[in-house]
Amino acid sequence: MNCKEARSLLSEFYDQELNQETSKALEKHLAGCSECQKEDDNFNKILKVLNKLKTYDIPRDYLEGMKNSKQPRTYVRGI
Amino acid sequence: MKAEEFNLINRAKEGEREALNGLFAQEQKYVFNLMIQLTGDPATADDLTQEAFLSAYQDLHKFRLQSSFRTWLSKIAINLFRRECRRKPNHVSICLDEIRIPSEKDSPERTVIKRELQWCILHSLQQHVPKKYRTVLVLRDLQNLSYREISEILSWSMGKTKTCIHRGRKILRAHFINGKCKAFAEKDYLCICEGILEL
Repeated sequence: MNCKEARSLLSEFYDQELNQETSKALEKHLAGCSECQKEDDNFNKILKVLNKLKTYDIPRDYLEGMKNSKQPRTYVRGI
Repeated sequence: MKAEEFNLINRAKEGEREALNGLFAQEQKYVFNLMIQLTGDPATADDLTQEAFLSAYQDLHKFRLQSSFRTWLSKIAINLFRRECRRKPNHVSICLDEIRIPSEKDSPERTVIKRELQWCILHSLQQHVPKKYRTVLVLRDLQNLSYREISEILSWSMGKTKTCIHRGRKILRAHFINGKCKAFAEKDYLCICEGILEL
């Protein structure tokens, strides 16, 4: 596996979407290539931050708005 | 789709109020978070969430149950977000090089800066990553949806989904490097990873 191939697979590697064979080949490449390893570290830094961003509570009940809206059409067979 | 959800949707489609409330109530927080993560603006997110639920309520009879309810609702919400993007001009401003991370752990200053750093990353995602890639990154990295779910919501092939996730992440990372973010630009600086992992 060359550097170009390795770098194109980093996202799927992080998401564990690669098959075992490709994953092992990439791991082997990363172990011997400091530049690709750095690229992989950069990816991981950003993604770990994104994964830990807080979630927000809803500011109001959105179902309230629907109560004043016109009634939806009921189920029609085939739709 | 689980049998329980299938049953709930069918009852809601027949107009049963309790089923409708149950179906929609469990998705409120998800949709609001999706919208705030995409827009970065609580007021816009609030409006779009309300609109998404109203549209879903009006169009429930069109739902063919070929995906999960969340996937269908996500499509509606993302289409509203896309429309909103066409209405509003892009915002541009950020000063990554002003972010400073002191090395002393657990100081009040450090806690504040960690929050700023999170804000900075979210801001970069919302304002400096093109809409197409931002959408896919929010769905994947903030909402933790699978590649398959994302490809269904965006009506993309699996190949396109994979490519866009990868490109989006590269764009986000490049923004930090090009913006001279201290965490990326200077080797002896405390890195983002170390800072955030403690939160």
